Amino acid sequence: MNLKPTAPVIRFQNVAFSFNGRPVLRDVSFDIDQKAFLAVIGPNGGGKTTLLKLLLGLFKPDHGSIHVFGHPPEKVAHRIGYVPQDVAAARSFPISVMDVVLMGRLRLHGHARVSASDRAAARNALEELEMLEYVNRRIDDLSGGQRERVFIARALATDPDILILDEPTTGLDNTGRADLYALLKKINQTKTVIMASHDIMVLSTYATAVACVNRTVHFHDEAEITEPMMAAGYGCPVELVAHGIPHRILKTHED
Amino acid sequence: MIEALQYEFMRNAVIAGVFASLICGIIGTFVVVNRLVFIAGGIAHAAFGGIGLAFFLGIPYLLGTLGFSLVAAVIMTLVLLKAKNRADTFIGVIWAVGMASGIILLDLTPGYTVNLMTYLFGSIIAVPDSDLWWLLGMAVFTIFAAAYFYRDLLAVSYDDEFARLRGVPVDLVYFLFICLIAVSIVLIIRVVGLILVIALLTIPPYIAEKYTRSLAMMMVLSSFLAMLFSLVGLWLAYAFNLTSGATIILTATVGFFLSLAVDAVRRRCDQHQSAA
Repeated sequence: MNLKPTAPVIRFQNVAFSFNGRPVLRDVSFDIDQKAFLAVIGPNGGGKTTLLKLLLGLFKPDHGSIHVFGHPPEKVAHRIGYVPQDVAAARSFPISVMDVVLMGRLRLHGHARVSASDRAAARNALEELEMLEYVNRRIDDLSGGQRERVFIARALATDPDILILDEPTTGLDNTGRADLYALLKKINQTKTVIMASHDIMVLSTYATAVACVNRTVHFHDEAEITEPMMAAGYGCPVELVAHGIPHRILKTHED
Repeated sequence: MIEALQYEFMRNAVIAGVFASLICGIIGTFVVVNRLVFIAGGIAHAAFGGIGLAFFLGIPYLLGTLGFSLVAAVIMTLVLLKAKNRADTFIGVIWAVGMASGIILLDLTPGYTVNLMTYLFGSIIAVPDSDLWWLLGMAVFTIFAAAYFYRDLLAVSYDDEFARLRGVPVDLVYFLFICLIAVSIVLIIRVVGLILVIALLTIPPYIAEKYTRSLAMMMVLSSFLAMLFSLVGLWLAYAFNLTSGATIILTATVGFFLSLAVDAVRRRCDQHQSAA
């Protein structure tokens, strides 16, 4: 890569996208720097998942352009680790934790067989997520939080430069969330992290940038959330609880 | 059973049952984990159009049904990939159109005297030698295809979006395996008939799924269970002079309910243990 370290890793320029004729996102422009920790927030149905799928090249924009490492997203999809929102994992499927993580090693080298280095990489990723002891368990025997860790391990096993997570904290309790954020913080030392979340708590300590997604994107280079931003982002009255001192509650928006 | 094997038709029936079970175990696993049972039913019934076509044109049965089923399979896969939320409607239509055109084509065939029951319910004891070679070839091909594409097949079945991001040709894998479903169904129709083929494709994998930790083990256990049901059913059909296809399916059904009962007992034991 001859990109300067300061060049944006991801660039959206005037992106618009509609699904089945219904506009989902419009006028989306922002740059994300290398080593950013971007929190993507916004209401359900506001377009968070759509934004991530555009970034992954799974959806094509109607207008505008998206560049990841200076290329169209589908050309560099192999450099992105993806943790989807609701992996079809809750349904019964005979697959072990190891085989799930090994999916992250698909197409990384020429041969179709699983190599010893694939297994080593999968075990390393599981170790990092403290899930190695479950390596031979069937994935649908695990709890929701444990499954989430396995899917993060699968994304890490791809050895990505960018890690994208779609609402990874759903189904986790507060301790689970705090652990996950600490882990993402560690990963963020070497990789760009992009996380869609309902959980505003993440902003206070971890995020370096915020994207508020509701039909369009309000992008902030700093991890702060302003009341006008919430209003613009959510477009409806919101109550916001921030973990400040003392415990502070923003007032309900007037319509 | 041993004395029955002195008859050539019984030996052929046993061999056909074993090969058909190998195919059913592998293809059925793919059908069950990908929730493609309705597509498999659609292909099986659309195959009837191929039977009509074969008689109408006076071409070999396999040629007519293979052609018709493959066309139906390709259309269904296209619909599944392009308009998933409408797929069930289209599959239902192709299902009915296949059956209807089969009947009309048979109506139009002069001097037609074929026994329809043979195709609807199968006739494993009338399987000719040539079909055994077809079944053997297909069993070998299916095993090789499943082994060669195993990692892709697993990834596509479990999480097709992630597989696509990793560069797996998801659409191609779907096409290949749905066409394999079509070919398998056409061959297995001779054994248990087009109405009953769905049961042999789905019951063994459904049972196997609960007791295995990998797709490969599920395929192996499904094949084994399908063999067990086929051979027990065949023996019962011989001993009590019953229609073989229907007896095989009812044997599988007994296995199905037995597995449900075993699960219920195990659940109660677990509850009992955790309560104690």
